[in-house]
Amino acid sequence: MLFHTWVFAVFFLVVYPVYLATRGTRLQIPWLLFASYVFYGWWNPLYLLLIVTSTSADYLAVLGMSRGHRRKPWVAFSVLVNLGMLAFFKYAGFVTQSLNDFFQAVGIPYAVPVPDILLPVGISFFVFQSMTYTIDCYRGAMDREPCFLRYATYVSLFPQLVAGPIERSTNLLRQLRERPPITRHDVADGLSLFLVGLFKKRALADYLAMYVDPVYARPDQFGGLALLLATVAFAWQIYFDFSGYTDMARGLGRMMGLRLMLNFRNPYLATGLGDFWRRWHISLSTWFKDYVYLPLGGNRKGEVRTHVNMAATMVISGLWHGAKWTFVIWGALHALGRVATRRLESTQFYAERIPTTVKRLLVFAFVAFAWVFFRARTVGDAWLIVRRIFGAAWADPRFPLLAIGLLAAVWAYQWVYESKLRDALLASSPVRTGLAVSMALYIAFCCGGGDKAFIYFQF
Amino acid sequence: MSDKIDLRFGSNDVRLTPREWAIALPAIVAVLSLMPVVWAFIEPLRLEPDHRLPFSLGNDYWMYGRLCRAAAAQGKTLVVGDSVVWGHYVPKEETLSAHLNRLAGEERFANLGVDGIHPAAMLGLVEHHGEAIRRRNVVLHCNLLWTSSPRHDLSTEKEFPFNHPTLVPQFAPRIPCYREPFGERLGIAIERRLPFHAWKKHVQIAWFGGSDVASWTLGHPYECPVAAVTLELPSPNEPPSPRPDARPWAEQGLARQSFAWVELDQSLQWRLFRQAVQLLRSRGNRIFVVLGPFNEHMLTEESRAAYAARRLAVEDWLSYHNIPYFCPDPLPSALYADASHPLAEGYELLARQLFANDAFITFDRSRK
Repeated sequence: MLFHTWVFAVFFLVVYPVYLATRGTRLQIPWLLFASYVFYGWWNPLYLLLIVTSTSADYLAVLGMSRGHRRKPWVAFSVLVNLGMLAFFKYAGFVTQSLNDFFQAVGIPYAVPVPDILLPVGISFFVFQSMTYTIDCYRGAMDREPCFLRYATYVSLFPQLVAGPIERSTNLLRQLRERPPITRHDVADGLSLFLVGLFKKRALADYLAMYVDPVYARPDQFGGLALLLATVAFAWQIYFDFSGYTDMARGLGRMMGLRLMLNFRNPYLATGLGDFWRRWHISLSTWFKDYVYLPLGGNRKGEVRTHVNMAATMVISGLWHGAKWTFVIWGALHALGRVATRRLESTQFYAERIPTTVKRLLVFAFVAFAWVFFRARTVGDAWLIVRRIFGAAWADPRFPLLAIGLLAAVWAYQWVYESKLRDALLASSPVRTGLAVSMALYIAFCCGGGDKAFIYFQF
Repeated sequence: MSDKIDLRFGSNDVRLTPREWAIALPAIVAVLSLMPVVWAFIEPLRLEPDHRLPFSLGNDYWMYGRLCRAAAAQGKTLVVGDSVVWGHYVPKEETLSAHLNRLAGEERFANLGVDGIHPAAMLGLVEHHGEAIRRRNVVLHCNLLWTSSPRHDLSTEKEFPFNHPTLVPQFAPRIPCYREPFGERLGIAIERRLPFHAWKKHVQIAWFGGSDVASWTLGHPYECPVAAVTLELPSPNEPPSPRPDARPWAEQGLARQSFAWVELDQSLQWRLFRQAVQLLRSRGNRIFVVLGPFNEHMLTEESRAAYAARRLAVEDWLSYHNIPYFCPDPLPSALYADASHPLAEGYELLARQLFANDAFITFDRSRK
């Protein structure tokens, strides 16, 4: 069920009034859980077995921790169950295929049967979210949740179930316990967030995808400029797609009185790669920071170890996105970039002498270059695209002027948003109202009726 | 642990207050609701004699609704049906309604046929886009070709693409060969109740090659979408594409056919045709049904007998429900282009037969 479809509209129009009506009663959490399972089971009811398994394992682990003296085995149990599920459903095919490729390369006449497993939607997200609770309880950052239904609701909450933000139990589970009131400002805020998210998805991401998809499907058929523009367009497409989803998720959460964490903060206005990762998919980058980078030692064990930890975290993050070598290379590129620029970013020269716009352009150029590997179907395609961007003739790319206009408008808006002009501009009620009405009408008039899935659903 | 979880409202939001939403939401709804109404004043509708829906606007249900309103406003009798009524093989001056007008000596009949439509879709068309013809005289064409095979009848279990899927019943009755996912059907069922959606499709079909504005810019990257809306519409005389071979069926080399007729009591198309009749009657329409004339010359003996039995059953049903009808004998063989479409002379002959039919004369006189 996608947020921008009629099915979801009908679903929410049923779920929301009942949610409001049952507020303050014992029925509210069961209702929310039921709705969330319907939402997730809509893709395939069998997927529910996975989420129930992950939920039960972590609930049991924390229960075990609270009753026994030995806490570590319970954490290991949780990690084993969750990562085991992830490994089986997401990486089994990749590992066996890579093994077979290796056997073939070295001349071993043997092939491991490649399992044909359908990747359940959003498994990487809910598995991480569920595991977080166990680890937080183990660390003492969170107390045990006595109500299984409430805990299951935390893991499966439908607005953020399939593509995040990956919530911490310290934030979301506590809100589910405390049930903060819903004011009309929450509803207004939720609608505002949802509208912006819908605009990002329908008007921008899906539009840019129409240019990007055919170019990346047949890179050998397109000139250098078309490939370059498709790469830039993809950089924006994935941002609009993912942050659009997040905005809608946060908007829905807000309408339900729940405050989900900020996941994006104008990442293409970042002035360094470190800054970029503090702005891009914040819930995942902080997750990796808290549960991978810091346990590895963080920056506490010297310069070399810091770089190794950083690189390892980035590569794992790449692999988290998908079981393909293209994602590994994408993660490795960011690791290299981060290691190479970490020192530079902390110098006075970089901070003061290089104009902000130049820094932003450099970061964007690097990030867009790395997206080539993220988006390409194969590593071979990615190299071909890079080679053709620099080597092939720059024929007429037929990139729509409307897309250029939209991107320019969005970039200008983000720039204004982070500048001193923000208050002057957005404080004006007619400007805000006019923007909201314009976005809604643009979606209604200009966008098609497709139901293109969100890119991050595949992870 | 990392720094405190960032729960700020947003990073590039447009944050409206409840009061601002109270202004924005009605404004959005008002624009979307009024746009189709206002557009009818902006876009000129040049009705020609014997006007019919231009072929390339065959899926433009907003335009169909507009033609319904125009015809109803002029008090015309509306001739509703599939490509037989539309006149697939003939120019607009040679259609059934055109010949009826000629015999009447005035523009009394309006061609509301749609090329490629079938009873299941006709029901949706009348229900959602033909509201304006309420309480008018309607000549409804019944084409038993749609029961001539499980595929025509849409009752085959094998999925295949058919015309006007957005007009057919999405949930009940179940159409076995229609396998759209539930979400898709729900979307169709909702959208066809929204006048804005029909209008948007009209703009897309008329000036953007059937695609949405955003998709259109990919094929026309350096053109302004607003400039593409020229307000010029295709001519009602544009021929179908591909252009049909308007010769008698025998000259085209078509052989006699043995159809795998569907039993009438199991036929989906017949059931939905009856629903369309009931719907029109519930809206106060006076209905006259023209049954056929089917090209029985093209049928094998066995198939002709099966057709005759079905025709009789339809006549029984119409009589039982007091619906006036005319079921002509087959036209001469040379006046058919295929199994159900007459050629120009065939339409002329049919019109003459209608004007000589007592039930039709009575029906025609009842016109308000």
